[in-house]
Amino acid sequence: MPEPLLRVENLRVEFKTDDGLVQAVNDVSFDLFPGETLGIVGESGSGKSVTNLAIMGLVPRPPGRVVAGRALYHGKDLLQLPERELSDLRGKKIAMIFQDPMTALNPFLTIAEQLTEVTQLHLGYSHQQAISHAITMLEKVGIPGAAQRLWDYPHQFSGGMQQRVMIAMALSCKPDILIADEPTTALDVTIQAQILELLRNLQTELNMSVILITHDLGVVAQVCHRVIVMYAGRIVEEATANSLFADPRHPYTLGLMQSAPRLDHARAERLHAIEGQPPDMTQLPAGCAFAPRCPFAVEESWHQQPPLAGRPGGGRLACFVDITKAPRKAAR
Amino acid sequence: MQTMTEPRAERRNKPGAPVLEARNLKVHFPFRRGLPFVGKYGVIRAVDGVSLHVNEGETLGLVGESGCGKSTTARAIVGLTAPTSGEIYLNGARIDGLSSSAMFTHRRDMQMVFQNPFSSLNPRMTVGAIIREPMDIFHLHSRRDRRLEVMRLMDLVGLNPRYMNRYPHEFSGGQRQRIGVARALAVEPKIILCDEPVSALDVSIQAQVINLLMDLQQKLGVAYLFIAHDLAVVRHIAHRVGVMYLGRIVELADADALYASPKHPYTQALLSAVPVPNPQREEQRQYVALAGEPPSPDRQYPGCPFAPRCPIGDEHCREVAPQLAGGQHLVSCHKVET
Repeated sequence: MPEPLLRVENLRVEFKTDDGLVQAVNDVSFDLFPGETLGIVGESGSGKSVTNLAIMGLVPRPPGRVVAGRALYHGKDLLQLPERELSDLRGKKIAMIFQDPMTALNPFLTIAEQLTEVTQLHLGYSHQQAISHAITMLEKVGIPGAAQRLWDYPHQFSGGMQQRVMIAMALSCKPDILIADEPTTALDVTIQAQILELLRNLQTELNMSVILITHDLGVVAQVCHRVIVMYAGRIVEEATANSLFADPRHPYTLGLMQSAPRLDHARAERLHAIEGQPPDMTQLPAGCAFAPRCPFAVEESWHQQPPLAGRPGGGRLACFVDITKAPRKAAR
Repeated sequence: MQTMTEPRAERRNKPGAPVLEARNLKVHFPFRRGLPFVGKYGVIRAVDGVSLHVNEGETLGLVGESGCGKSTTARAIVGLTAPTSGEIYLNGARIDGLSSSAMFTHRRDMQMVFQNPFSSLNPRMTVGAIIREPMDIFHLHSRRDRRLEVMRLMDLVGLNPRYMNRYPHEFSGGQRQRIGVARALAVEPKIILCDEPVSALDVSIQAQVINLLMDLQQKLGVAYLFIAHDLAVVRHIAHRVGVMYLGRIVELADADALYASPKHPYTQALLSAVPVPNPQREEQRQYVALAGEPPSPDRQYPGCPFAPRCPIGDEHCREVAPQLAGGQHLVSCHKVET
């Protein structure tokens, strides 16, 4: 087993809200290995984005607070680093791209100004060096006429092109780790295919590790080596992509896969929806948060938190039940 | 109840007749960029000659990427946007260009469910009042029965009728979309136009709402014009599917035929771009990469609008516009034998 590039241990993040204290991330631990793409899947409110904001030191405080945990990167705990050292790493060694490129780019600055800032700041490039590097990066992400487009403003680019600019910016300093938070959710499906292909090629070329946060299992299957499934702030299952899709072991993972309409399925009678509503994060049950919606829940599930332990077939799993053997019943 | 079953029977169509039909529908938006008089003037052809029909009790899916005009088509049909030209028929009666008072009687037959369940419900009204309002407007049922009707509708869409005095913010996204569906059903429409009804919802909740819409169709025989960008969702719910590109329908066929053997190069590319949640199949998947992005609809193309991005387009395609043709499986492409 190679050394992990990033090791997150027992991360906990809380948010104070009007409705009470929310445990947005609860005891999350995982490793990220060099050169791999790790998918983090979950629905809104599952804590997948907050986990990564915490690693980057970007949890808004207040209302948020990192309560416990470590994020070890080259022997340093990112969660304890002073802001100045952290901002040295951010953008240089660990970069991030967001869901909506329209809001992540500054509408008042040209692409040139936004793209050269990062290399001038982190690598000490001169203006000239930074400009020529920016052109190289734009060409690398497939923007035609890069030398001219550099002087355009963000609104002169389409959504897909803006996301390419964001990727060029994120990769300008050749980061070790790229965190991509729903990078294709706002894009059309043909553009999504282009961007995912681009990310995959650049990853191989630059040999970086990618954390891809998404709700789309299809995207995960397309680009991820390993997958973490989150529900209500906790990791419920972790496995290699092949193993997870071939043999989902957590009832929630299984439910997600069965409820998604698929192109390769005919017009069926009904979808296997997961019954019930997403959990109220201010009032999580004492036991497994998925128990109220789970067709496999046993008595223990309601009272005890299932430990995240070894998963048959490799990886980790937090469930009391072996769903390959247990009977399915109507959710309570 | 008795008072309303009578006119309903009268308004019923012959079986199989289209509930809704649009002929050569066009919606153009004039625009000006820059200063008055010296700026650039032009017209955005959001919808440029769309013809479609929806039969009783069936679902017509309309798919395409953002900016292809699918939502504008729906908005023009219900009258939220004035069509530039073309004809719209509801139950055989022409409804485009009607004054709002003349339109009033037709509105009962055609309702809409919107994409965003957070902005399409009035936050100051209780759920009961939201669902009841259409009945008030059309004077359906006696006052007392309306309350019972609200409870029946809530039960029908899977909401607990006890919650009728709560406000929209007390519900989750999926539940709010159920409220929107109940409101649309309150006047017993023959067709509901659904504009991306599940795209704002989480996957597990999406499935619930799709199941609900399908169950309601079976129970009530309501027809849907279902607009979505998600091809897998449309695959699941639609009987027939139309694919739009730059304001035009480029392919229209039975869902099974369209998904099994797409004919238009754009449909082929679109379908091949959808990732399948299965890593082994993902590795083998051949996808038709499309160069570039959809062009701006403010330009006019003499030929096929897809020609500039088309992998098999040629000079002829760029000069002569193809027509939608071919019996059951309509396709608009010079390269396809119909």
